[in-house]
Amino acid sequence: MKKFVMIHDENLCIGCEACSVACKNENQIPSGVFRVQVHAKMKGVFPNLQTDFTRASCVMCEDSPCVSVCPTGASFKLANGITLIDENLCVSCKYCILACPYNARFLNPITKAIDKCTFCYPNRVSDGLTPACVSVCPTDALIFGDINDNNSEVNKVLASKSVEYPKAHLGTKPKLGFIKNTKGGRYE
Amino acid sequence: MQRREFLKGSAFLGSLACINPVLSANAFTKGDKKSVFSVCEMCSTRCPIEISVKDNKGVFINGNPKFSTNKTSVCARGGAGINQLYDKNRLIKPLIRVGKRGENKWREASWDEALNLVATKLNEIKEKHGASSVIFTSKAGESHTHMSNFACAYGSPNIFSHYSSCPITYNMVLEHTYGGGLSRDFANAKYIVNFGHNLFEGIVISDAKKLAKFAAASDTKLLVLEPRFSVVAAKADEWLPIKPGTDVAFLMALIHIWLRDEKYDKEFVNEYCIGLDELKASVKDTSPKWQESITGISADTIERIADEIYKAAPKVVIDWGHKTTTTYAEYQRTRAIAIANALMGNYEKKGGIHTSKNTNTLNKIIGEDIFPTLDNPSNVFKVPNTPRIDGAGEVGNKNYFVSRKHGVLMDIAPAILSKKPYPIKAWVNTRFNHLVNVANVNESLKAINELDFIVSIDIYLNDFSNLADVVLPESSYLERDESIATIGNGYYMRNKAVEVIGDTKSGFDIFRKLASMMKIDELYTYTTIDEYRMQQAKGNVDLLANLKKDGIVTYKVPSLYLREPKTIKEFAKTYPQIKDKIDSNGELSSLINFKTPSKKIELFIEKVENLFPTHGCLNTTDYDVFKNHEFCLTSGKTPIHTNAHTQNIPILNELMSESPVWINETKAKELGFKDGDLVYLENEFGKIQVKLMLTQGIRPDTLFIYHGFGRNTPALKNIHEIGANDSIVLGSRSGYVCSTMVTNIGVDIKRA
Ligand code: SF4
Ligand code: SF4
Ligand code: SF4
Ligand code: SF4
Repeated sequence: MKKFVMIHDENLCIGCEACSVACKNENQIPSGVFRVQVHAKMKGVFPNLQTDFTRASCVMCEDSPCVSVCPTGASFKLANGITLIDENLCVSCKYCILACPYNARFLNPITKAIDKCTFCYPNRVSDGLTPACVSVCPTDALIFGDINDNNSEVNKVLASKSVEYPKAHLGTKPKLGFIKNTKGGRYE
Repeated sequence: MQRREFLKGSAFLGSLACINPVLSANAFTKGDKKSVFSVCEMCSTRCPIEISVKDNKGVFINGNPKFSTNKTSVCARGGAGINQLYDKNRLIKPLIRVGKRGENKWREASWDEALNLVATKLNEIKEKHGASSVIFTSKAGESHTHMSNFACAYGSPNIFSHYSSCPITYNMVLEHTYGGGLSRDFANAKYIVNFGHNLFEGIVISDAKKLAKFAAASDTKLLVLEPRFSVVAAKADEWLPIKPGTDVAFLMALIHIWLRDEKYDKEFVNEYCIGLDELKASVKDTSPKWQESITGISADTIERIADEIYKAAPKVVIDWGHKTTTTYAEYQRTRAIAIANALMGNYEKKGGIHTSKNTNTLNKIIGEDIFPTLDNPSNVFKVPNTPRIDGAGEVGNKNYFVSRKHGVLMDIAPAILSKKPYPIKAWVNTRFNHLVNVANVNESLKAINELDFIVSIDIYLNDFSNLADVVLPESSYLERDESIATIGNGYYMRNKAVEVIGDTKSGFDIFRKLASMMKIDELYTYTTIDEYRMQQAKGNVDLLANLKKDGIVTYKVPSLYLREPKTIKEFAKTYPQIKDKIDSNGELSSLINFKTPSKKIELFIEKVENLFPTHGCLNTTDYDVFKNHEFCLTSGKTPIHTNAHTQNIPILNELMSESPVWINETKAKELGFKDGDLVYLENEFGKIQVKLMLTQGIRPDTLFIYHGFGRNTPALKNIHEIGANDSIVLGSRSGYVCSTMVTNIGVDIKRA
């Protein structure tokens, strides 16, 4: 069985939002809402500064609070680790929006259903393509693949780099990990 | 499974309706699906792309996977090509002005009527005032080629490109110093010195990808000197917030140290360079201590850096950047960079700098015509040999070294206003927004009002087009075919992906048609773009067919550096023809040739010294960008927008809808300013109202703005009167020798 994982390398990410634009076009996300955005945050005092680029999207929890609270079963998980929403069953009660600790869900103003990142499973990954955001990233900061495939790029990265998971303490076991930014500061 | 099937259908339920209900009908019905391979035009980089097309609707853009350097990557702007295509603010009918100039009153016209009007007016003006009284401006690339051909056929020498507002300096400096353009080997370097070349915001995918990997690697060093903590600075191993305008002093001190300690590649310099003595004299007094008070960087630091770079050489790139427009001394700054590279002996070394090995060069290196080459059907068009309004290429003129095909944009308005050297009556423009991208907007506006006739070709009713008499709508790049261009060691070609929306035409067709209507087309040997392409390909139908099918054709050739024996040996395995050219030390020195007058790398340039005394060697004349103002306003690019072109596109506008001015937080608080305060930035050229953004990421004496906002065209609904046009406070005086526009400028802040 495949198990999909995505890794966001914050050292390679330049916050260019190509991922965000590709996601919107590929998944027909209307204006005003996003499945993914990358937030740039500068901290420190001149000239000792650091800018972190963090990805804001669904992190595909293994134990997903959004699924547990959904009263209609519209939010569900596939065996490959991907959490999806069945638009036909969604009654827009927004319980899942409150339950998601990652602020990943929103109301799609066109479909009137709850929406979020799907890892592009329905439209791309199930056909053997990579997710739209991964495909376009100019710096290859996004790595996507099957953790059960020993030769996959994600496994190589997991073996060689320290990958962290957002809000790991919550125990939701995300499938979207990140490599922490190490750049910043000033040496003089 | 059921759910999966369901999701497959419904994932497409959201529609382009949010972008444009009229143009996007039926976008996602099941049906014909194909990929078209073409070339992006959302900025000037021209990345190869793949466009997914469903039922003649472009639906998604990614990079062309056949181009191994970029693979499927595109930037945010590139991905938004689809959204530009279906932007309801696009022009889709020719417009003729009915109100007063700039009043924004238009009527739609047929192409016949609009082109007839243009032809009649241009003929009239030529008859009364001569062809030179019409000026032609354009952005870079193919628009410029076809416009120039037309201008030459018409008989005007006054042809301009955006060159002088951005890349002119490094192009001129590399030509003067090395005899031609060079590439930077970011992929294999060990040490990169970057003077604010912000490849992570002014994205060029192929370079950005290499530099990102370079920056993330643990055994390399990226040194960034820049007044702002930009994204490239944020990725640096060391960031030095240098005072704006003072790079030249830093570089001259660096060179001073290397020459003082004899830490440079002597063998290389002896063999391939001239002018070492003059160079030594020019940096005699530019000590580390001397630069300290100018740049703000301590003498110890620069000593350490000089040593680091020397130790890493020749796997070193001292990057000349792209937007080489900082100060009046820009020529010297960029020259110092070119010289620093030469001293490190990184020329034709892996990880250094090198000549491009395109198909032409490869044929020459191998000594056989192995790869197909192209003809240039535009070669027959020559810029008329009559005086230009900016004097480009004319002895005794400050613009002597400027190409007569590119000119100096900042000199247009003063020439119109002074009627010197002769009166200008009309202006033909294609895809260039002079009023946002060129310094001294107030002067340009005055000048434009003096003109009898203005034609502008664009895809939006932009600020400049808004002042035209006739506006001709160009098809977007996804709706048109273009000529063959060179990429790496191969070729690529822009292919039409969808049928034209509304009533637009390609720039090629517009100029070609005008030329034939005006009966000035004797020199044209082609009437359609297909004929043009066929002439380029010299009848090589296979090449053309492959370019149509795949968008790109490249050849598998081992990489070659002429001073890197290992690569030469590898290359000789595939191309044994080069074997007898290899020197005893394994290099290919017979193939190294510098097309300078001395046939060497010119550390001192006699031809410049003769015409511009003191500028043949390094100097610090006029580097000061503050000019007694409290702040220096700098500007740059964002990864979301391209200059003044993409701000109105809904998806990009949503990601970045305005551009506040960066100011150092501590300094701003001292002055009593809060985040979001409205202020005026003011100097002798003009005044702009801006919103302040307080941040720690900039020097206390420096301000920064992302260029491209502040439009006054009502038709650009999303951005009308939002933000500020920084060109208003830039003066039209240009830099020495290279005549580049100067974009770092002194300003004062006043409360609004
Ligand atoms: S496309 Fe890549 S580099 Fe750009 S913001 Fe997204 S993850 Fe970061
Ligand atoms: S991130 Fe939120 S939406 Fe995604 S699986 Fe976890 S809880 Fe659900
Ligand atoms: S995986 Fe697909 S749905 Fe998720 S952010 Fe990337 S493009 Fe959007
Ligand atoms: S850098 Fe981006 S906008 Fe420019 S050509 Fe490449 S993909 Fe297009």
